[in-house]
Amino acid sequence: MKNIIYIALGFGFAHILIFSEAFHWSRIREMFYFESFHMYGLLFSAIATAALGIILVKRYNLKNINGTEIKVNKKQVQPTANVVGGLLFGMGWGITGACTAPLYILIGLNWKIGLIAITGALLGALLYGILQSKLKH
Amino acid sequence: MKDPVLPWFIAGPLIGFTVFLLLWLTGRSLGISSSYRVIVSYLAPKKINYFNYERKGDLWQVWFALGLLLAALFQFQVLGFEVEGAAFVYDINYIPQFFLGSFLIGFGSRYAGGCTAGHCIMGNAQFSLASMLSTIGFFVGGLIATYFINTYLF
Repeated sequence: MKNIIYIALGFGFAHILIFSEAFHWSRIREMFYFESFHMYGLLFSAIATAALGIILVKRYNLKNINGTEIKVNKKQVQPTANVVGGLLFGMGWGITGACTAPLYILIGLNWKIGLIAITGALLGALLYGILQSKLKH
Repeated sequence: MKDPVLPWFIAGPLIGFTVFLLLWLTGRSLGISSSYRVIVSYLAPKKINYFNYERKGDLWQVWFALGLLLAALFQFQVLGFEVEGAAFVYDINYIPQFFLGSFLIGFGSRYAGGCTAGHCIMGNAQFSLASMLSTIGFFVGGLIATYFINTYLF
């Protein structure tokens, strides 16, 4: 049952990214060229509204739909990993004009590019897994 | 005919609302890049510790990703939603560039512990230091690619 909720939310999330063109290469390009406010407005308003939602959940101790308490875990700070991994991710973002979610969306747009991209991402994740113990975090 | 673009002041809050819905309905914090770890964990040798883990906690992201893929197939293949410049940008001539970029996305997001969804949106919305550091990395990396790498690649 829960899996259907995940699929439905992913389905909705993709529609936002498609209709706002946030998945599109040209939108990411214009963002990095500082040519349009679109992506900045989108990201900042997404962060702001998400923050508001999280604050409300915490403030009112909001219960899950099943009646259990909602726990929001913060990610652990790993300065080197966050910065260096972030830089590498950012380069991939700048080259493909896509990030993680849009890579899945690309499969639906052009399956050849999309499958190559997902294969690349999985191999990247594999290399990280192999090197994890040797990398500074 | 091309549909009008959904403006940022609607799209952004809708993404924020998705974060809230996901949290409220399922208790999950938005993130997508752990789906890569889950998928690789089925294929990688068990001796790699990173993939020999309790994947149950991340498995939901694969269902979420399936939703993304189904939405894209529905819009682009079934309804024929037109993407401006798609034939030019998403051309098979660019396969090497897409492969390289995606490889960096896969490696970098796992090293940084999250991506645009998990760090930039969800993490920053929690005022998490890890996510602020990562987001600075994402943006600087993107600028480096845009001004110094893409000129050689494209």
